[in-house]
Amino acid sequence: MTTGTGEATMGTDTAATLTDGEPLGASRSERLSALAQQHGALVTLVVAMLVASLSFDTFLTGDNLENMALSSAFLAVVALGMTFVIITGGIDLSVGSLFALGGVLAAWGSRYGTVVALLLPLAVCGLIGLVNGLLVARSGLAPFIVTLAAMLGARGLLLALTDEGSRTYLVAKDSFFAKLGQDSLLGVGVPVWITLALFVLGAVVLRRTRFGQYVYAVGGNEDAAALMGAPVARTKVSVYALSGLCAGLAGALNAAWLVSGVTILGSGMELEAISAVVIGGCLLTGGFGYLSGTLVGVALLKVIQNVINQIGSLDSAYQQVVSGAFLAVVVVAQTWLGRRQRVL
Amino acid sequence: MKHLAPQRRARARTLLTAGLVTSLALMAGCAKSEDDSGGDKDASRSAESGQVVASPSGGSGPTCGIDAYGGKKLDLKSATVGFSQSEKEANPFRIAETASLKAEAGKRGVKLLTANAQSQFSKQISDVQDLIAKGADLLVIAPLNSDGWEPVLRSAAAKHIPIVTVDRKINATACKDYVSFIGSDFVEQGRRAADRMIEATGGKGEIAILLGAAGNNVTTERTKGFEDRVKEKAPGLKIVFRQTGDFAREKGQSVTENLIQSKPGIKGIYAENDEMGLGAVNALKGAGKKPGDVKIVTIDGTRNAVQGIVDGWIDGVIESNPRFGPLAFQTLNSFTQGQKVAQDIVIQDSAYTKDNAKADLGKAY
Repeated sequence: MTTGTGEATMGTDTAATLTDGEPLGASRSERLSALAQQHGALVTLVVAMLVASLSFDTFLTGDNLENMALSSAFLAVVALGMTFVIITGGIDLSVGSLFALGGVLAAWGSRYGTVVALLLPLAVCGLIGLVNGLLVARSGLAPFIVTLAAMLGARGLLLALTDEGSRTYLVAKDSFFAKLGQDSLLGVGVPVWITLALFVLGAVVLRRTRFGQYVYAVGGNEDAAALMGAPVARTKVSVYALSGLCAGLAGALNAAWLVSGVTILGSGMELEAISAVVIGGCLLTGGFGYLSGTLVGVALLKVIQNVINQIGSLDSAYQQVVSGAFLAVVVVAQTWLGRRQRVL
Repeated sequence: MKHLAPQRRARARTLLTAGLVTSLALMAGCAKSEDDSGGDKDASRSAESGQVVASPSGGSGPTCGIDAYGGKKLDLKSATVGFSQSEKEANPFRIAETASLKAEAGKRGVKLLTANAQSQFSKQISDVQDLIAKGADLLVIAPLNSDGWEPVLRSAAAKHIPIVTVDRKINATACKDYVSFIGSDFVEQGRRAADRMIEATGGKGEIAILLGAAGNNVTTERTKGFEDRVKEKAPGLKIVFRQTGDFAREKGQSVTENLIQSKPGIKGIYAENDEMGLGAVNALKGAGKKPGDVKIVTIDGTRNAVQGIVDGWIDGVIESNPRFGPLAFQTLNSFTQGQKVAQDIVIQDSAYTKDNAKADLGKAY
């Protein structure tokens, strides 16, 4: 996976490189820790899957893998947008509510056809994301607060549309829109294919376009980016709008899968998405991260959940302790590696 | 010098992340500490206060047989049963429900796999799919939400896995998508709560409803039963406030705090479960009210709420029995042996008032 290395160089804190006076990757231990930071999640994922498949003969079955892929596709799309936001050094807490709102809008819109079912959530959630971005970029408010407000507002909008959440709009089971969530291609669900396509597209944008470079530059050092002539504000607005679009699309696909606009979805999803992105190697300080890592992070969260269910008799309280502890270990390891990289 | 500030900011953010993650880890621990007395006692008590069916199976209602549903007969003893719990086991109803199923599985020697969705619907869907992939032959589901079960129903149908839902319904076709629903008559619970409220308030004045979580049949039916009965029997009783407390104590408390501010003259509060009712009691205590100033009627029958009657804060508790273990396994057993089972198995609930609260405190969970 050579793509990771390229992004890592891009994303390194400029201050560290300057004071050091030598190019990144000079020392062996630094190179090792950089490697571990990039692929730590992947290594953990492979180990976890190996252990799981040796321990449970029902783990590495086609059914189980397909289920895991399909049910994590929606979180993956949300985490895709989140990755862009976090690389710029921001955070988006509104995605869980937008995911739920997107689902409700899609289910409601599906009566007017697939186009409305897809475009309506994209338009509304994209617009809310755009407003988030404008508030963050133009008025300098903290992303945490701006997107928290959007999270509450979007949830309120959802409740208003659904009689306090008591009305669930259904998608006609035989409609083309429902097929988007239900059908499979070569044995893999359509949402999984859509997700993979979006990640490839996202990686190309992040790696190969000027916009992608701006995203890293803004997150690495905002002042330096501005001095170099990067459109800081426009970049920020774009990533929040993108995050809103992703959450809305994920919600719509999820509604097609569940054939209904379930109103109680998405609470806590923002934290899951942030966890996945961080596990995948993004630094919350911005400037560093890559999409393949995020995909691995999502998969890792899903595998942990699946393994806990494979055990099948773990007390529900301990299920959360296990997954929480796991996250804590990963994050601590990453910040430690990250700090080493800066100090060296 | 100039790059010092960003670095400090960076450290602050790292700390924030670590904090976020740690709080995720700790959530379970905190939730669990909610009830320290319920768990172990429930198993032993489940026999004496197990559920009684209100409408005997095979009676008037439609039934479901294994031929109509599809699938094959099997011996329950050698089968694996998957149980998907909906909400965190932080409230006594859920603790008693899970304990009852585990106890009954143990008694019958059936292998039980459990999963808990922690109140996250997406997780419940993948939980059930995990249980199917893990090889569950039969499923008992306590659904978090009534809609959105299509992916699960499709997987289960492909393998002809019988599903019994407990305490809430799934919006699907009985005997095609699932076998039976076992639960209370929630409309009736609402009606009985209304009767209690009318008696307590004398049928006049302004009252409030603390609604349950949105999107499931329990909330809508408990609301409908209550409102219809009040309209019909006590037109003088005005429902002036309706807000959701999400079946949670903290939310019930904060909603009631708002209620006391906006409607100081409120005479009664109908809480659609005990936890919200107990939250309301906390709010009233905080506002300096005395026991009995505001009449509270709740539904569930948890120990704390029944104790609330003894203490004078709560006027009545309509029971909703969570001990589904015996009835759920009995239903699965009959069904897998080829007998017909009722599609709707409605259980009989009792009630607590100040006349029996002290004596029946042991029956509460």
